[in-house]
This record gives sequence, structure tokens and C-alpha cells, in this order.
Amino acid sequence: MLQYFDPKHASPERDYGTPARLSGTLVSLEIDGHEITVPEGTSVLRAAALADINIPKLCASDNLEAFGSCRLCAVQIEGKRGLPASCTTPVEAGMKVTTQNARLAKLRRNVMELYISDHPLDCLTCPANGDCELQDMAGAVGLREVRYGFDGENHLDAETDDSNPYFSFDPSKCIVCSRCVRACNEVQGTFALTIEGRGFESKVAAGQNDAFMDSECVSCGACVQACPTSTLMEKSVIEQGQPEHSVVTTCAYCGVGCSFKAEMQGDRVVRMVPYKGGDANHGHSCVKGRFAFGYATHPDRLKSPMIRESIDQPWREVGWEEAIAFAAERLKAIQAKHGRESIGGITSSRCTNEETYLVQKLVRAAFHNNNTDTCARVCHSPTGFGLKATLGESAGTQTFDSVMKADVIVVIGANPTDAHPVFASQMRRRLRQGAELIVVDPRRIDLLKTPHHRGAQHLALRPGTNVAMINALAHVVVSEGLEDREFIAKRCDAAGYQAWREFILDERHSPENVEAITGVPAEQVRRAARTYAQAPNGAIYYGLGVTEHSQGSSMVMGIANLAMATGNIGREGVGVNPLRGQNNVQGSCDMGSFPHELPGYQHVGDPAVRERFEAAWGVPIDDEPGLRIPNMFDAAIAGDFRALYVQGEDIAQSDPNTQHVEQALRSLECLIVQDIFLNETAKFAHVLLPGSSFLEKDGTFTNAERRINRVRKVMPPLAGKQDWEVTVDLANALGYPMHYDHPAQIMDEIATLTPSFSGVSYARLDELGSIQWPCNEAYPKGMPTMHIEDFPIGLGQFAITDYVATEERSNRRFPLLLTTGRILSQYNVGAQTRRTGNQAWHDEDVLELHPSDAELRGIRDGDWVGITSRAGQTVLRARVSDRMPPGVVYTTFHHPGSGANVITTDSSDWATNCPEYKVTAVQVEKVSQPSVWQRQFESFDRLQLRLLRGDEPSAERVNE
Amino acid sequence: MSRSQLDTLIHMVNQIAINNAHYDDAAERIHAHLTKFWARSMKRQIVDYLQQDGSELSPLAREAIERLAQAQTEARSASA
Repeated sequence: MLQYFDPKHASPERDYGTPARLSGTLVSLEIDGHEITVPEGTSVLRAAALADINIPKLCASDNLEAFGSCRLCAVQIEGKRGLPASCTTPVEAGMKVTTQNARLAKLRRNVMELYISDHPLDCLTCPANGDCELQDMAGAVGLREVRYGFDGENHLDAETDDSNPYFSFDPSKCIVCSRCVRACNEVQGTFALTIEGRGFESKVAAGQNDAFMDSECVSCGACVQACPTSTLMEKSVIEQGQPEHSVVTTCAYCGVGCSFKAEMQGDRVVRMVPYKGGDANHGHSCVKGRFAFGYATHPDRLKSPMIRESIDQPWREVGWEEAIAFAAERLKAIQAKHGRESIGGITSSRCTNEETYLVQKLVRAAFHNNNTDTCARVCHSPTGFGLKATLGESAGTQTFDSVMKADVIVVIGANPTDAHPVFASQMRRRLRQGAELIVVDPRRIDLLKTPHHRGAQHLALRPGTNVAMINALAHVVVSEGLEDREFIAKRCDAAGYQAWREFILDERHSPENVEAITGVPAEQVRRAARTYAQAPNGAIYYGLGVTEHSQGSSMVMGIANLAMATGNIGREGVGVNPLRGQNNVQGSCDMGSFPHELPGYQHVGDPAVRERFEAAWGVPIDDEPGLRIPNMFDAAIAGDFRALYVQGEDIAQSDPNTQHVEQALRSLECLIVQDIFLNETAKFAHVLLPGSSFLEKDGTFTNAERRINRVRKVMPPLAGKQDWEVTVDLANALGYPMHYDHPAQIMDEIATLTPSFSGVSYARLDELGSIQWPCNEAYPKGMPTMHIEDFPIGLGQFAITDYVATEERSNRRFPLLLTTGRILSQYNVGAQTRRTGNQAWHDEDVLELHPSDAELRGIRDGDWVGITSRAGQTVLRARVSDRMPPGVVYTTFHHPGSGANVITTDSSDWATNCPEYKVTAVQVEKVSQPSVWQRQFESFDRLQLRLLRGDEPSAERVNE
Repeated sequence: MSRSQLDTLIHMVNQIAINNAHYDDAAERIHAHLTKFWARSMKRQIVDYLQQDGSELSPLAREAIERLAQAQTEARSASA
């Protein structure tokens, strides 16, 4: 007898027809004489597939609920009338199923005959040739003739919709199986597609019969993936043909960390297909990961190392050896003259764990100081600080799948549909199943308008008042006796809790008293607190709207307080979940990028920790923390900090107060930039080292759920070296020997020095697919849910989080508050996505402002507006929108010329210096020309592009 | 507009102080924070400022930096 523990048994390479059922009750039946046992609720189609009996099918797919429209999967069941569709028929005990006989064969052939009578017979020239389920099924049923002929009424002349940059929609090939419509609904949750008309007139339509680009389609690719014909087809496949091999790797965009199959022809990517075996994405994708990979082969890629003496000189192409020697000599000379602490490095949250580890090792072991930092400084450093202080570990507590057991989902300062789209689709699935939603955000984010979900609570607070809000929520929980006393008594430090309890019960934290600060009616706050506290499972998800504030760390601790007080920690469906912005923010933090911590969050001041690293690395390690990025900038302007090695980060565009950053970069005697493009930072550099894209290297990324995923090389590095090899060369040139043949060896070294990684190796990753750290002797397969038994610090620590108003507040001169964020199609500084078809959705950053603020200033949609803060001025096009409350304006920072960070200030989190991007007091007025900074930016940009070509500078001055 | 390096450090320590003010052991917490997170050069500059002027430091920040200065003196004499 065959027994299947579905879904563990399932292969990600096969389609089992209908989704797995997880019932613990097993049912035995007989299919074609084989006895099979499967979980209750499994379809006959899936049960057969699990036993390697393949019933023909067209409208069924195991990522969609059964639909029963094509009738191809009909079977005969003893004692049942007719020939039921096996996809919609659940298994029953003792059932006897026949999948093949003459009657079924005739029926299936008839079905196919009807389909093919309205389908073009151009198989040989069709882009789906070789990958077409319709073709396969015609073969499987033995279709030999079409008795109806092809002269009758048909859809063969239907027009192709080519509006989407990445895929085309050719309705002449559509069999109206509804897989695309169901994928849009069930997998993506956008509900952009529909079947229009009835009977013979039925056809797939986007929106109200719009072109795909004009509809609500978000181009996630789920419909293309679902299409069994070439109706919805990647343009890259139409142009290049079918791929001949594939490699499973990890997306290099956001912190969801989706697994993809890079489908290849030789070393050319034909398409990226979301991998069903990926534990973070389960076969789903978004427009970035699925389609926006063309940047990897964009002509702007840097192909050879370059050097120059000063930033007003043309770049000179040199070999790797010369560039590395040039960089090393300069670094050594600067240290000799200005001291050991006068240089530093910045690791990248876009690079692999192994690369990040090596950069911080280079700084600590070859630079002999701790001046290493990472771009997490400007996004999630408060998460590291706040969660370590309260829960004892600097990481989210759950898996993404945990959300499927949440009864109440609280989203604070995050915009998952745009910034973490694949996880947002999973959230929306849970919301459609009936979970409640509470959003704490000044903006009306898209998650609030999730189709088929009603009653979401939106606490639209004023920017900068998060801590007042979280305290008010906690006040309600404690004052109304809604806390989980058993959890608190058993799992939390008693004295700390008592102190916090007294603090939070103070009337100044009551929703009624806080209303004047947050602008949110007290009753809404009370209702939200009760909803969260009384839910069997309440889960909090948060993003940069929490961390990027002057009290970012306090807010993270406030969230942890609330979760502990309500016992929403330590099981599935609950938890505190930071949504990480970039692919490897978690990993770059884990790998010791911060100036005070060695890998695994081990403080440099701890002699026992240093001793282990010193023994392994063979050098003494400085026992004092190094400089953080903003401190490096200040020290550079003061003349104490002279050289910086930046791997894969664009601080000139992404960091706040651009003019201050530019001044710091101009102050450096040696700036070494390693990147795939001439980014904004590189325009101030003296050494340019070409980086490698995620397709060109081996390594690992760690996503927002602590999941370590393999990145696999599918093409050679364009400039000849993977990023880790460049760091190795630089270390050797500085006289510190490093030698690795493969990143697997770097991971082995990480495992010996980092307790939470001690069980991680490439062999183990290949075996398990992915691992959520900690992975050690006690947890050899990793730890999906954290803090089940206890906290790494023993007892949970409540933190006192008094609300301290930000100094960045509106006044008569700057009456509006600017907050910044992201949109779906562009990624971070846009260096990658701006060089792809994603530009079609967002080719400029705009300023969103409320109709009343616009009217007051005589601003109309599309007008140029100047935005002025105490830091600077920039000009953007206005978009009038009521997504924000009056008094709040919003923009994105994906285009360098927008200068969004020219206006953001140096205000930052008290504990970590994470910049306060989310609150800048501004004035907005109608203008007719770009700002002074923008004009300078344009001319500097033109000059640097000329210097990149090796031209001498002409009329334009470097410093204008 | 940007602050000078020292102004930034003064601002930072005052900000740390006000965010920890509610704790009974606030000065010690602030001192621990500076010890754990500030670079050697930053500690040196803020201690120098305390010893030469210190007028812009909040009372709590001042108390924490006094502890920091004391700890540094003790560490120096211990290693001497």
C-alpha cells in the first residue's frame, strides 16, 4: 500500500492538479487497482498523481482550487453515475477509480477535438512549442482528426495585446480554461482578470476589457505561469525560444527572498520562473523578480576596473591587478599618515552573506579597526537594537507561512503590496479567509483595499507619533485587563514587567490623552487594541515606517512589549515580524556588518568572543566599536576619516541630507566603489571595481524570516570576478592573506565562528532547500518559529518607551510633513529596475499631496512643485491624492535626479542613528524650473558620464 | 544645513538621555549605551567636551559622560 504524507512527498517539479490537503485523517482508495492512502479532502486527480498515475487535465493546476471546466480529467468511479471530473471529486474511503478505458478515451478525445477546432494549428512556429499543455494533452488523448473542420465561427483573428513590456496576450490561442483568472484571484489576490461574455462569446479580459497595462494588473506573472497555451507568454520566450536548462536560485530584490528557476539557453537567461519548491514564495513572484532581470546584461554595466587620481579626471581602464594595487597603496598610505582609524568599509545588503562577511573581515583584520557598517543602518538597525533588547535576538520571530494561522494581522508602517508583494499576496489570502486587519500608517496603503475583505481598521496617525500610538494600545491592553498574565508570569522578567506596567498605566498614555498627539480618535485605538489582544493569534508586521524615526528603536521595543503583554510570541500565527527592505538586510546584519558586533551579533567588547575570532583570523581585533555611516560622514568632513571601501551600496542617493553626504564624499582622499553600475556614489570615487550581479555568483541570502537560501551562478561574471573574489584580492594586496576557492568555504568559516550558524553548510542547504537560523546541534534543521520555550536572554524584557516628540515638526515656515516610501515596480535607488521595462510603470518620482493642501497652494495635478525643508530644496511633479491625510505629503526615492534625499534631514533614531526618512517638515509651492541642486546634479552627472568614457573635462566645472 | 561633528555628538547624547530618562538607573544605562555603541573617537570627543565646556549637555547626559570619563580613567590606570 502506498501512503503519502502530502505535501512533503510532493516534488516541486510536478503539477499534481489540485492543492495539497493537510488533514490528519487519512483516506484509502483504489485507483487503477493500486491502493492509495491520502489526507481527507484530497482530490482524486491529486491522489492519482501522487501514485504516478497521470490523468489528462487542462484547467487544473496544483496552485489553484479545482474548477472542473475542461472535463478532460474525467474518471469512472465504481457505483457512481456518469464520468465525474477527478479534480472536483474528493477521495472517499473504499472508492474504486478507473482512469483509463475506452469510454474515457473517447470522451477525452472529443473534448480535445472541440478545443482544437477553435485553435490555430501553428504549433511549429508557436512560442509555446515544446512547453504547451494543450499540445501535450492532444498527444496524450491521441487526437488524430478534427471532424468539425476549421471554417466555422472561431476566435482565430482575435487581436494580440502587447501593452505589457514583459508578456503578450494572444486571445486567438486561448482555451478559456480560466487558469489565468483564478491565478490572479487566488495566487496574487489582485482580481484584475475576468471572463467576459457567455458561451461561445466567453473571453479573458483585463479589468473592464482594458489593455493589460491600463488595467489593475500588477504584472506579477502568475497568469503567464498558469496559462497552459501560449496565450499569455513571456516576450523573452517569443523572441528567444524555449530554455534548455534551468538553475534554482534566489531573487536579489526584496527581503521576501523568492526562489526562482533561472531558465537558460547556455549562459543567457530566457526567463525567471518562480520555483514551487521555494519555502518563502511557494511558486509565486512579483514584477521585479519575475521580469526585471534585464539590468544584468544592460550596456551600462561596468566591465573593467578603473582608477583616477581625483574626481575631476577621466577614468582610466586598468587590469584588476593594477586597480587593486592602486587601492591598497592608497589605503596603506592614508593609514600611515592619518592613523589606523582613518579608513573604513561599507558592506552591502544586496550582496551575499559570504561577501558581506568578507568585507567586515577585511575591515577588522586588514584595516585593523571596526569601521564597518551597512545599509541596514538606514533601514532596520532599530530592529536589531530593539528586538535584541526585548526578545534577545535581532530577528523576526516567524515564517511567512505563519500568517496563515493569524486571526488578526497588524501592519505598522509597512506597505507590503508594493515593497514585499509576494508576502502581501499570502497576507491577502489569509484576509480573504477571514482574518482581521489593522493598519497603523498615515497613508491609506493598498492592503486596506484587499478584494473580498471588509472591515479593516485604519489608524491613520500623524507621522512621528508611532510611540505615542503603541503606548496607547498597550495602555488599553493593561488597563482593561486584556494582558496574558500566564505568559507574562512564565516568560518575562517580573521586575521589568512591573516597572513597565506602572509606566504604561499612567493616564498620559490613554487613547483619550494621546488623541491630540496622533490625531486618531480614542475609540478607534481602543477597538484596535481589543481586537489584537483578544484574538487567539495576533501577528504584527512592520516596516521602515516603524524604524526610520527619531524613536525607531523605542517603537520596535514598544511593539515587542505589546506582543509579550498579550502572549503573542512563541507559536505559529503570532509574532513580531520586521519586513526587510533589501534581499539580504537580515544577512548583512547577521554577518557582523555593524561596527560594534562581530558575526552573530557578538560584541567586539567581549574578550571571549574576540579571542575566538583572533585565533581564527590570526590578528588582534579592536575592542572598541567603529564608526557608523553617519559618523563616518561627519568624520570625513572634519578631516579625520579619509578613505572608504563601499561594496554595492549607493550612499549618495539612498542616505539622507544629500548635500551633507556629497560634502563627505568629496572630502575623501580615496573612495573605492564596487558596483555593477556607475551609481551616484561612484561619481565621487577614485577606484571603480566592477561588481557581479546575483546571476553571476554563488553564495547565500538570508530573507526576512531568517531563511538562508542559496544563490547559484548561472552565467560568468561580466568583468571576470565575483564580488567576494575582489575583496579577497584587496585583503591580500593589503598584506592580510585570504584564500578561498569557493563561497562554500567562507560559509564553513562563518559556521565555526557564529553559534547561530554552526549547523549551516552548502551541503546541508542543498539537502534541506533552505534553513532558518539558528541552525546548530540543538536545531539541526533550523528554527522556523522562535522563542517557543524561552528567549535567548532567558526572560523577555519589557522596555520603557516614553514618547519623545521628534524635533522635526511642522511650523509656519514648513507647515507640511513629508514621508517617503516605495512603489511596486521600482526597487530602492532604482539602479537595477530603472534599467528594465519596469520604467513603463514609474519613470519619475512624484509628490503626492492632499487635495486641500493642493488647493490652498493653487497646485493642480501634474504641476511642478518645489519642496523645501531645512536641509534643501527639490522639484517634483505633483499628484493630487487623498491617500494621505491633509498636512502630509509623500514621495518615492527611486530616481536620483528627483533629489528626495536632498530634503530629508540628519535627524535620526536615538539608539542607532537610523535616519528619520519618514518625517521631514516641508513647504510645497508651485514652481517653473528645477531646483539649484537638480541643475547641479544634471551637470555633474553629464560630466561624470563623460569622464567614464575617458573624455577630458571641458567647459563644465567639477564643483559647480 | 548640517551640524558640526561635535554638535552632532552633543545632540546624540542628549537624545539618548531623554529617551532613557524614565529609568531609575538612567545615567548608567546611557553610559552603557555609549560604551557599547560609540566609537573610540566619539567617546574621546564627548569626554573632552565635558571637561572643557559641557554647557549644552543635559544633566542626565552629563552624568553619563562623567561615568564614561571615570571608567576610561580607571581603564587607563589599570592597564598602566
